[in-house]
Amino acid sequence: MRIRLFGMIAEKAGTDHLEVNAGSLDELRAMLAQRIQGLDGIRHAIAVDRRIVQSDIVLTGSEEIAVLPPFAGG
Amino acid sequence: MNEHRHHKVKDIFLDGAIDPAFVGTSIAKHATRTDIGAHEIFLGQVRADEADGRRVAAIEYTAYREMALERMTVIREEAFGKWPEMTCLHVHHSLGIIKAGELCFMVFASAPHRSASREAVSWVVDRIKAELPIFGKEMLEQGGHEWKVNHG
Repeated sequence: MRIRLFGMIAEKAGTDHLEVNAGSLDELRAMLAQRIQGLDGIRHAIAVDRRIVQSDIVLTGSEEIAVLPPFAGG
Repeated sequence: MNEHRHHKVKDIFLDGAIDPAFVGTSIAKHATRTDIGAHEIFLGQVRADEADGRRVAAIEYTAYREMALERMTVIREEAFGKWPEMTCLHVHHSLGIIKAGELCFMVFASAPHRSASREAVSWVVDRIKAELPIFGKEMLEQGGHEWKVNHG
């Protein structure tokens, strides 16, 4: 599945997307922590189908997933 | 009446700064709506923040557009739910590099009376800052950058 990265997280990763295969959100979180150096030091949220999800949920691979650093609109 | 409630997802984003003349034009477009008695406009301007001898020259805004527009649609619906007398609500946010002193954000509400438009604008601005996935890279005069973070 394709994970979209934004802002300082995309900068940290050196790319605006990653391809990973994760069966759950917690599994994805662990993979992201491995793939993106320093991610645990950045406040971030994961959006699944454009909604922020904090709990662990099953992922089928068809979801639209994004990793979002702190918002700065306005 | 209230046709705004049936709008599909509106694009709030524009490339580059908001031209002050655009604000004037936006006001002028409401001249035919003679049920309006009050306009309230919030304009966000890029501030040359200074810290540790470094000064912000510009902010480069990016966004997760699809999610931002979905969130904005929800916020808009909620605003019309809270202030049903509001006549219209217009939101614009810049993307790309906006220099210090330029306008990057506009929230414009109109209503028959000022309390609704005033309260709605303040509430909508707060919600947008907290909930829309918009990211800001502060480009420093001395070179380099920092990432803008909204607090509270």
